[in-house]
Formats: sequence, structure tokens, C-alpha cells
Amino acid sequence: MADFFLQALGQVGSPVVLALITIGVLFGIIGGCIPGFTVTMAILVVFPFTFAMDPVSGVSLMVGVFVGGYSGGLVSGIMLGIPGTPSSITTVYDGYPMAQKGEPGRALGIGVAASFIGTLISVAVLVFFGPLIASYSMKFRPWEITSLIVFALTLVAGLSNGAMLKGLLAAVLGLLITTVGYDRNSNLRFDFDLPVLGSGFEILPVMIGIFAFSQLMGNLEKLRDDKSDIKEVNTDVSIPYRQILVDMSRQKINTLRSSLIGSLVGALPGTGGTVANFISYDQAKKMSRHPERFGTGTPDGIVASEASNSAVAGGAFVPTMALGIPGDLPMAIMMGVLILHGITPGPLMFEQNPVLVGAIYASLLIGAVVMVLSQLLLVRWFAKISLIPQQVLVPVVLMLCAVGAFALNNNLFDVWVLFIFGVLGYLLWKAEVPLTPLILGVVLGDNMERQLFRALELDGSWLTFLTRPLSALFLALAVVSLIFSLYQNRKIRLHTLETKGGDA
Amino acid sequence: MNDASRQARSPSDRARQVETRAKAMGHIVLNVILAILFIFLFLRAGSLPSSVWEPLGSGTFPRMVLAALVLFNGLIIATETRHFIAMPALPAKALSDWCYQHRLAFGVLGLFALFVLAVPIVGFRWASLPFLVTCQYLLGARHLRGILIAIAVALVMSFGIEALFRDVFTISLPRGLWN
Repeated sequence: MADFFLQALGQVGSPVVLALITIGVLFGIIGGCIPGFTVTMAILVVFPFTFAMDPVSGVSLMVGVFVGGYSGGLVSGIMLGIPGTPSSITTVYDGYPMAQKGEPGRALGIGVAASFIGTLISVAVLVFFGPLIASYSMKFRPWEITSLIVFALTLVAGLSNGAMLKGLLAAVLGLLITTVGYDRNSNLRFDFDLPVLGSGFEILPVMIGIFAFSQLMGNLEKLRDDKSDIKEVNTDVSIPYRQILVDMSRQKINTLRSSLIGSLVGALPGTGGTVANFISYDQAKKMSRHPERFGTGTPDGIVASEASNSAVAGGAFVPTMALGIPGDLPMAIMMGVLILHGITPGPLMFEQNPVLVGAIYASLLIGAVVMVLSQLLLVRWFAKISLIPQQVLVPVVLMLCAVGAFALNNNLFDVWVLFIFGVLGYLLWKAEVPLTPLILGVVLGDNMERQLFRALELDGSWLTFLTRPLSALFLALAVVSLIFSLYQNRKIRLHTLETKGGDA
Repeated sequence: MNDASRQARSPSDRARQVETRAKAMGHIVLNVILAILFIFLFLRAGSLPSSVWEPLGSGTFPRMVLAALVLFNGLIIATETRHFIAMPALPAKALSDWCYQHRLAFGVLGLFALFVLAVPIVGFRWASLPFLVTCQYLLGARHLRGILIAIAVALVMSFGIEALFRDVFTISLPRGLWN
């Protein structure tokens, strides 16, 4: 593997790819620091530009966006008090008060340093656990893979706050979308006599439509509600480097713990940066000698949040690369991009595309270095950019989504697919149907049907899914995740009733 | 007046009840429509060919998926019907109020549909330019400075993106009927 890594480093270290990583990181930071834009949206906007690139260049650019995006949320969180991405919500708790006390540079510096270390630790986790899990998962047969996909989908559906049924509906709807077009025996399914549907829906326009439209239309609703909430921000920031070194030297354990939490949470399906930053902030507070200082502008809070959300970047690659199952929404899009470049994420990726695997590691590392340099040198510009209004952002992003959908196959039908699924995604979002399970269903649907078919071809009995220990374990975990989710739903409902009762 | 409206002690309580009922109605309508569509597809999938040599016919997996979807639709409808019945009736203008509240989103979606319709006729550049300007105007660029920024953004993003894809990525975006 070391040979392949050096080979990959040689490719990633070429001036063109380095420039692409830098562009990716800068764009990711910009995307992350604009409230309501999110890492996923930044990835969606950049992906059409990778069509004409070779896989290593395309993936390096995307990884750059990934690394930059997860660290970008801290800028608007600290300067405006509005988290740029959901994964930097807890950064606001201490970053904004510190900035309000006249130390925005210190808050940003601590956040950037924690993000950098978090990314590095998560790459170490990826390098160690990725091949380990992949080599173990090579033993999985169709029964285990089918059950694992069922488990991943139920886990993600169950994590939809208080909306388990809707989460399940979304996941299965995602599976249905993949059944359109020719099946393995060249029988046409649900084509409605439209020849263009013969090859089914391209997953990227479907994913972009569902995610981007709901997100952008949601931003428009906030635009309507927040018209009076425009803040004046002083973007004249300087970073006190020495102070940050002192601060970070006092945060070794917190940084390590938060980075490991971020890596672990990132590796779990359906969780991602939002869950990671809450868990590690909570843990940092519980472990602190001065929990009362949290929320008032303490470095501990910023470190916990930023180290963990940046560590998600490396952790999220573990299940995607090792099992072919994306951990969260940005990774689902990333997986779509890899498939587009002819690479099938999964255990075989380590054997069939070792250079690309090495390129992902190298891009993460180089991206982390570029991220820290860019943030420290250009932070005042990022703070200015975070003020770009939604009225400019929404139409531009919609247009870029259309360009991406078209450029996929030089086909306008894909733009209509984008629009139709965009409207569907918006309606489902309005109906509080979680969209992450839907997108995972779309990504995993084909593989699930293929594996189910193979399993039953090898052994016609459905009981085999329960008699093979690992397959039975995954199915049992799926049931447990649903029971746990039912329990959580009940708790949330009771809490809501109590709150309403208290208000009345 | 039903029990729920009698229990509503304040205007905010009443507003919350209206919101709950409106949401429940939305869920019921959406799930009924989806369930009808899924049942139709389920029946259609039954006519897909199957082979005695294979464990699963072409329609088996879709039918499993569709059956699960109809089940979930049914469960959601049952849950939401309880909420719907427990809350007081909606005001007469509820639907038109909802549409008015979402006018920006519907406006942008309408403009996007027009943009996609226009692309094959006038080409990407000339379809995206008015789309970007009109959209920004709709979303709040009403004063001279805002309109000038909107035009500048639209010029860069329409002509600039087209040139970038054509010259750098060698991907040709639609040029319209007259080019």
C-alpha cells in the first residue's frame, strides 16, 4: 500500500492537482461560511466541473471541497452568530461570545487549528481502519451485503428526529426510484412508454434535485422570515498566533477526544457533522473542570466543536470506501461522483484502485494544510463573503445545478429529471419527510436488488438471511435500531406535549 | 366548537392547533396521493415477466418495495388522521394563505421551469441571463444598486459559465436553434 500511496502522492503533488485541491478547499470554505449553503451544496455545485477531469484530479478537487466545507462553517458562526453549516452549530455557542468580547481573531484561530488537527486525526483513522474493515468485508456474501444495506437504511431512517415512519417511507421511496428502466434481464420497468426512461434515472440529477431544491427553497422561506435580521459585521480581523498556540497547548486531550468522536460518528451511517459536534461539545463540557464557562466564550467549546466536525471528513470515508455504504449526505453525493468516474466504492476499491485510495488520503492531508493556510491568511475575506445574500445565491446555485445535470450526458432530459425530483424533494421536505434516507435509498437501491437476487439464486430460501450469523446480526441490529427509534419518537412526543402543556 | 378549540386558551394556542391540523391535512393528502400512485405501480409491476429459472421475476423487488410503501403510507395516514380529528377546523382561507406564504418558492420554481423550456430554443446563455436577473429581482433586488449587481452576476454566470465549459472543459452547453 505504501508504494501506491507514494505513487498517488506523486500524482496529487503535481501542480495542476495541487491547484485543484486549493480551489476545492477555497470553494468549500466559501460554501461552508455562507449560512444555508452547506458542504453538500458546495459539493453539488463543484461536481460538474469534474466531468472533464481524470478520476484522481476530479476526486482531489471534491476532497478539497469536503475538507474546506467542514471548516468553513466556523467563519459565519463566529462572525455572525449564524452557523454556516449545521455541523458548526456548537461553534457558535462559544465562538460568537468570544468574538463579541473583542477577540474574533482568537476564536477563528482556535477554530481553524482545531479543524486542522481534527482532519489529520481522522485521516489516521481512515488509513488504519479503512483497509481493515474492507479486508474483513471481503468475506461478506450477498446475504450479508443485503442485510447490511437494510441495516444502514433503517438506521438512517430511524435517526430522523421523531419521524421514523417518514424516514422509512423515504428510504423505500429511494429504492423504488432505482427500479425504473431496464432490469438485469432487459425487461423494461415503469418506463411509461418514454424511451428516455429505458436506462432509468441518473442518480446525480435525482440526488441534486431532491437535496438542492429543498435546501434552497427552505432558504427562501428563511429569507421571508428574517428580512429584519440583517447584521452589521466588522470583518477587520487579525489572528493572534501566539495566543492560539498557548490556547491549543492547553487543549490536547479535548482535541484528541473530540477528533476521535468526530471520526467515529462520521463512520456511522446517517450521522455526520451535526451529531458529532453536539456529542463532543457535550462530552467536553462534562469532562471540563469549568463547565460553567461553556457558552460564554471558552476555547474548550470551540475546539470540541471544530475538531469533531472536521474529523467527520475522514471518518465518513471509512464506510464509503470499505463497505460501499455512504455515511451521510455529502458522502452519498461523493459516492455518486466516484461511480460517475467509473469507480465503484466498496472493499474491492482497495484492490482495484489503490492509487485512487492513496490519492484520497493524500488529498485529505494536503487539503488540511491548504485549509489552515487559507483560513489564516484570508479569513477577513471569507467573513465578507459569508454576507452574500440568498437572493444572489439561490438563482446562481439553481443554474449551476442545471448545468451539472445537463453536462452529465449532454442531455436536457436530465435537467427535467432534476426539476421534477426537485419539486418532489421540496414537497417531501415541506411534509417533514427526511431526505437523507431517500438519497441513501437511491444510492444503494441497485446494489440491494442485485445482492438480493444473487442470494436467492444461490439459495432459494429466505430463511438463509436468518441462519447466516452475520446476516442475522445485521437484521437484528436493524430491528433494534427501529425499536430504539420508536422509543426516541415516544420521548420526543412526550417532551413536546409537556412543553405545550407548560406554555399553555 | 370541539374539545380542542374549547381547550385553546390563548391566540398562540389556537394558532398552534391550526398549524397542527394544517400539517396533518397536508400529510394525509400527500400520502393518499402517493398510496394511489404506488398501488397503481404495484398492479402494473404484476404484469412484468418472470422466469421459472430465476428466483426473482422483474416485478418482485419493485412489488416488495411498493407494498412496503403502501404500508407506510397507511400508517402515516392513520397517525395523522388522529391529529386531524383532534384539532379544530381550518379557517376558510388556509390554502390560499399557504400558497401566498410560499409565493417566492413557487415563483422561483416557475422561473426555473421557464428557463429549462427556453434552453433548447434560445440556448443556455440567453435562457440563463433573464432567469438570473428575474429571479434576483423576484427575491429582493429592487433598487438600482441591487439590479446592477443582479445584471453583473447574471452576465458572469451565464456567458462566463458557458465560455468556461466550452473552452476549458470542452463541454458544449446548448446553443439554441439559431446557432
